[in-house]
Amino acid sequence: MLLELKTPQIMPEMKEARIETVYARAGQALKVGDRILDVSIDLGSAFQQNCPPISYYRLVAREKGWLRELNAAPGDLRAAGDVLARVSTEPDEPVDAPADRPLRLATAGILGHPMMWSAKPRP
Amino acid sequence: MRLLGAQPFAHERALQVAFAPRIGGTLRINAAESGGGFLTLLGVTDWNPGDVIAHIEPSEAGPVDGTAGTDAARLLLLAGRRMSWAVDVDDGLLPGWHIRARAWWGDTNDERPTLLSVGFCDATGVIRGETAGFVEMFEAATFPAQVVHVSEHPATPCAPFLLEQFLRTPADHAAIAADLTQALSSTATTSDDLIFGGALLAQLTHSPMRDTYDLLTSTGLRRQKHADAILLSLGAEARSILRHRTLGYSLQILAHDLRAAGPAMRAWLASSFEPAPRSFDDIRRDYTRLMDTVGAATGARFLILNRMSTSGREDIASYAAFDAPLGDTLANVAAKEMNLMLHELADERDLFIVDVDAAAADLGGAAHVPDGVHQSAAMQARLRTSVLEVLARL
Repeated sequence: MLLELKTPQIMPEMKEARIETVYARAGQALKVGDRILDVSIDLGSAFQQNCPPISYYRLVAREKGWLRELNAAPGDLRAAGDVLARVSTEPDEPVDAPADRPLRLATAGILGHPMMWSAKPRP
Repeated sequence: MRLLGAQPFAHERALQVAFAPRIGGTLRINAAESGGGFLTLLGVTDWNPGDVIAHIEPSEAGPVDGTAGTDAARLLLLAGRRMSWAVDVDDGLLPGWHIRARAWWGDTNDERPTLLSVGFCDATGVIRGETAGFVEMFEAATFPAQVVHVSEHPATPCAPFLLEQFLRTPADHAAIAADLTQALSSTATTSDDLIFGGALLAQLTHSPMRDTYDLLTSTGLRRQKHADAILLSLGAEARSILRHRTLGYSLQILAHDLRAAGPAMRAWLASSFEPAPRSFDDIRRDYTRLMDTVGAATGARFLILNRMSTSGREDIASYAAFDAPLGDTLANVAAKEMNLMLHELADERDLFIVDVDAAAADLGGAAHVPDGVHQSAAMQARLRTSVLEVLARL
């Protein structure tokens, strides 16, 4: 069975999420409780603000599977609903078919941390 | 009205008087009183109590504040210390970038408490309201008060920063200024660096908790002592701040403020400071020292906005996926632990907790504090009422 990880609609006002940290790798066997990604959501991203409304979330697997494709890198800005990863329940299952359902995820609000893309100095 | 400041309003370059009518209706400004354009913005007119500058065509409703028998507008006075004279906007209440802004009703000369807000943005919205002119605060206040707000940019006002600011000597100020000046002498220095460095120096070398205040009222000038109450934000207390490697002072600059710095300031922050991690116990000790020191010197009492600890955005089936201690990773667990620390502190010290967490739970945190910090108007109004209730009891 094929499962999809899409950019979650964590709050109704969000349009997109920034990929902050990627923990999982393509080809990896996912276990229940494995970290997959950290994302940030900036509700004021349409224009620069002196105190932007940003919050951070971690996406954690709630079911096991094989992470077959991962299309997310730190710094990527992805629209809500974009497919970030495809997971199969069998290791050698073809992944070119439509997904059967979303991957079951836990979504947790987290603190910003130094490993995040936005915490690193950029020109 | 806007005037260049002079004694006794030392360093305050904006003084405004806003007319607050007691009745609702349609405002008709007398065209003959204004030439329009810059003549309105920059013109100087003698203050004559008999001049009529506008009329209000009243609606059916009676006085908005329940005051019968008087048609005189109330006078809300506003004064600001600008970060720079050039940083200005020509319209609105206290426009531009102020390192300190304040307001008070000027139609009475009564004794009044002063509330000083040195919180960050969760306090700023509550205190200054949607137009930054204190309007909502004074609409809600049923008693005379002075309300003061201090800018939280570029340095975030956490407890150690505020305490060190309060205790610094002129020699400390000179050492900080010399170090900062050295950093700005780089050939890579840009205008962003100079603005950022100047604003930071202004914060580092002046403690708003030592300020006294001049109040202009309809019956004259009165001198107000130090703030009676100081409002802080628990959310401003990060688990890791910066400490200057040689001068030893504390600093916290949030990522969005850091983006305003140029290359010279960023290089200085990276080379001259080191991370200083803080446990919950450290934060509690920092609060204790701040309250004891400032309270003993000025008599001020403290109010602290706690943190929303349940967002409604989460979907956690098991905490097994998260390493202990959970408060180091999970935002809501950290907020609960911080709130608990604040309640324990309130058992030992004269501290008022402004319960953001309870208000968010009541109104709905997901709708009214969507990012966990910035509140809706309804939420701000709820918190404003709590702050004013404390202030009324002082």
